[in-house]
Amino acid sequence: MLIKINNLKKTYKMGEVNVEALGGVSFQIEEQEFVAIIGPSGSGKSTLMHILGCLDQPTAGNYFLDNEDVSRVSDDKLAEIRNKKIGFVFQQFNLLPKATILQNVSVPLIYAGVRGRRKQQHLAEKALQMVGLGDRMNHRPNEVSGGQRQRVAIARALINNPSLILADEPTGNLDSKTGKEIMKIFHQLNKEGHTIIMVTHNQEIANQAQRVIQIRDGLIQRDEVIA
Amino acid sequence: MILEILRMSLDSLTANKLRSFLSMLGIIIGVGAVIAIVSVGSGAQSQVTSQISQLGSNIINIGPGISRGRSGRISFSATDVFTMELAEQLMRNCPSLKNIIPSVQASGLLIASNTNYQTSIIGVTPSYQEIYEYYPAVGQFVTTDHEENASNVIVLGAGLAEELFPGENPLGAKVKLFIRNRNLLFTVIGVMEEKGTGAMGNLENQAFIPASVILKKINNRKYVNGYTAQALSSETAKTAVGEIEYFLTRYLTDTNKFRITSQEQILETINQVTGTLSLMLGGIAGISLLVGGIGIMNIMLVSVTERTREIGIRKALGAKRKHILSQFLIESLAMSGFGGLIGIGLGWVGAVGVAKIGGWPLVVTHTSVVVAFSFSLLVGLFFGIYPARKAARLDPVIALSYE
Repeated sequence: MLIKINNLKKTYKMGEVNVEALGGVSFQIEEQEFVAIIGPSGSGKSTLMHILGCLDQPTAGNYFLDNEDVSRVSDDKLAEIRNKKIGFVFQQFNLLPKATILQNVSVPLIYAGVRGRRKQQHLAEKALQMVGLGDRMNHRPNEVSGGQRQRVAIARALINNPSLILADEPTGNLDSKTGKEIMKIFHQLNKEGHTIIMVTHNQEIANQAQRVIQIRDGLIQRDEVIA
Repeated sequence: MILEILRMSLDSLTANKLRSFLSMLGIIIGVGAVIAIVSVGSGAQSQVTSQISQLGSNIINIGPGISRGRSGRISFSATDVFTMELAEQLMRNCPSLKNIIPSVQASGLLIASNTNYQTSIIGVTPSYQEIYEYYPAVGQFVTTDHEENASNVIVLGAGLAEELFPGENPLGAKVKLFIRNRNLLFTVIGVMEEKGTGAMGNLENQAFIPASVILKKINNRKYVNGYTAQALSSETAKTAVGEIEYFLTRYLTDTNKFRITSQEQILETINQVTGTLSLMLGGIAGISLLVGGIGIMNIMLVSVTERTREIGIRKALGAKRKHILSQFLIESLAMSGFGGLIGIGLGWVGAVGVAKIGGWPLVVTHTSVVVAFSFSLLVGLFFGIYPARKAARLDPVIALSYE
């Protein structure tokens, strides 16, 4: 079991009012699953994704990642978990505009303490080849297409060989043809043994997963395995 | 990892060259000013010091204490103190003294065959040469025999010799000294070396005759104005002052009758004054360093805000607080450190220029360079910490959604 969350709650303080973004969510995710989390905006799915990605911590409840309770640890410990166990793919790509593609892919290696520029470069090249982007490595993100940028982001997510790939609307900024190509990569990665959680509000994309968790008003409305 | 963070910081600085340079400017000017001002101060100080020591070394002046008298005349009780015999007694009783000479001079008209020249006539004894390290270039100086016999011999300053005997050899020539409506005839026995203009005025146009001649044949008094003494060494100068003070207090029974000024005291005073001045100017330059630091902080705060998203991305990818902190701290340190280096170069150039104009030696001390550079780094550290901490503490979720 890769992920186990137990009665997860998150409340925000908006001025004087407490807003409950998550009202007690529980589920488990096994290794090599391909899960889609779906819900309209304001449903709490982004909050859930932030907590699953160790970018944020729950107000109450527990989150076990790789059998380790990560719901109450220090900021630096969370950073370490993000670096080693989680690979992010964002809708906005979130690449560093002034760095080359190769440098972008290498960033997680730096924080992981992987030494040696040659070794970093080798690992980055390998990751880029996995997403079909062996050339253009010395270009900057704004010199390549949106689909290629998302491939760079996927390569960056893969580079530290994480337990979990967390994708937030990965096809949201892409045309449907490019979106399909990106989805193909995720399927390929899943087949190779990567666990993938994809947050989306696109039903069509969600249906490509093996399991769909639907969130509404901070609660799980539906959790079903497709085919 | 530090190397990579260093590279990231430098990349971001070079990506905004103009902005980085402008924020460095305050530090550049501050450090440059500190280096230049301290150098100008030390240069001027060393010039004044060398001018004073040019007058001889370890010199102690003994003069009348108060010069109070009735209707414009100096009181005799104040000046009728110092005799040639007292000088000998001082020499015998003060073991730290090397030489002592009377201060006595007159002013008169020197008349050669064709020209004449109004100048000061210094009464000397042979020790004069040693005290002032000033020797005849040709001929000889006043000897003990001349002094004892009050011989009418004269030694001319280099400039004076040229005035009175242009293009001639003055040795053995006769000059008349017209003083107090009398004429005295002197034989030129020597011409002094050239010494240039010092702090005491032009020595070149003076003439030197035995002190006894002034006392016996011109002033007709046995008193001199005071003495110039020389200590054995700079270490014994203070002791010598004490010995003289002790002896004169006992001998004259009145401390108001004499006053002792040592060259060391003068130097000390001058060094104090120039030191205070340099410190003050350096302080003003230090303020501009401070202002430069605030400029760096300002630009770093702007940079943190601008790069909030980048910080969010880095945090999502696993950057800990210390990584972000050091990245931004290195940026501000690099700016202030590099600015400091440029400032040192600029200050050096300025110091060279001012030293050329002022005509004094270039003094750029290691201390001022090291202090200015470390101070600029300190400024970068101090003013960089707040923005860097701000960056390091950003919430990754908020930073990632920052537009």
